[in-house]
Amino acid sequence: MLDTLEAIRTRRTIRKFKSEPVPDDTVEKILEAGRWAPTGSNLQPWKFVVVKNRAILDMIRKISPGYLGATPMAIVICSDKATAYAKGGKLGRDYLTIADCMMAAENMLLAAHALSLGACPVKSFSTPALKEILELPDGIEPELILMVGYPDETPTDPPKHPLEKIAFLDKYGKVWSTSKGGKKP
Amino acid sequence: MKEEKKITGDDYLLELVAFLATSARGCIDEPPSYGPFRLIDGLSRLIDLPKYATCLKDDDFLHKIKAQIEDKKFSVMFDEREFQDMLDSVVLQVTKELKRRSL
Repeated sequence: MLDTLEAIRTRRTIRKFKSEPVPDDTVEKILEAGRWAPTGSNLQPWKFVVVKNRAILDMIRKISPGYLGATPMAIVICSDKATAYAKGGKLGRDYLTIADCMMAAENMLLAAHALSLGACPVKSFSTPALKEILELPDGIEPELILMVGYPDETPTDPPKHPLEKIAFLDKYGKVWSTSKGGKKP
Repeated sequence: MKEEKKITGDDYLLELVAFLATSARGCIDEPPSYGPFRLIDGLSRLIDLPKYATCLKDDDFLHKIKAQIEDKKFSVMFDEREFQDMLDSVVLQVTKELKRRSL
């Protein structure tokens, strides 16, 4: 199992997958990682729809321009807007649902990587089409699709901004200077 | 094991329709560079149509173009220049092929 910082550093978006299915106990570990994500006011506004049915996966791929390639499964991360509004008001419904779901997504992406799986987060999908396909009830909104499977490629590192460009000390513009820039954690 | 459903030309056409319709809608909200990306990805998908619509002839030239698109299309996310060069190259090759087939 990868060390946390190593997992963060070496995770890559994977877009080519083997057709080999992902065992349910492995999927459950990914779901558990999502379940333990940070969440404002302990809202836990997420719902996870695991899709393994080939016909449903194909339909999702067809209405999702960002779903490039085929995977043996996907996890659709949805937010429960109604419950979030009841407990968290407008901030809960409009912001925390998205922030929380994205934190759950990152946990799941890292868990997938630690379990030797590859994954790709997809936001380019038709929301009404996805709701129709998954029969999502009113108030449940799809936020992100995670394509998941065993990787069939090893992507190179993408360019990243050095810390000098994005990290500051005490106030904006005062460059964080103790780092070497692109240093690995 | 359940046999895979054979994809017909009609199935694939509908898939292209779904891709283009959802892309059109998505482009309203998505980053501007996704517009050219969807178009060139759509072109790459279109080149596969003869695989399913047997009345169409497979075209080696188009497959060569598709290979170049697939090789470089993700550069849209990290190297705009490389992406643009690939588009320019595809346009030029298609133009030369148009000329060759027309004259």
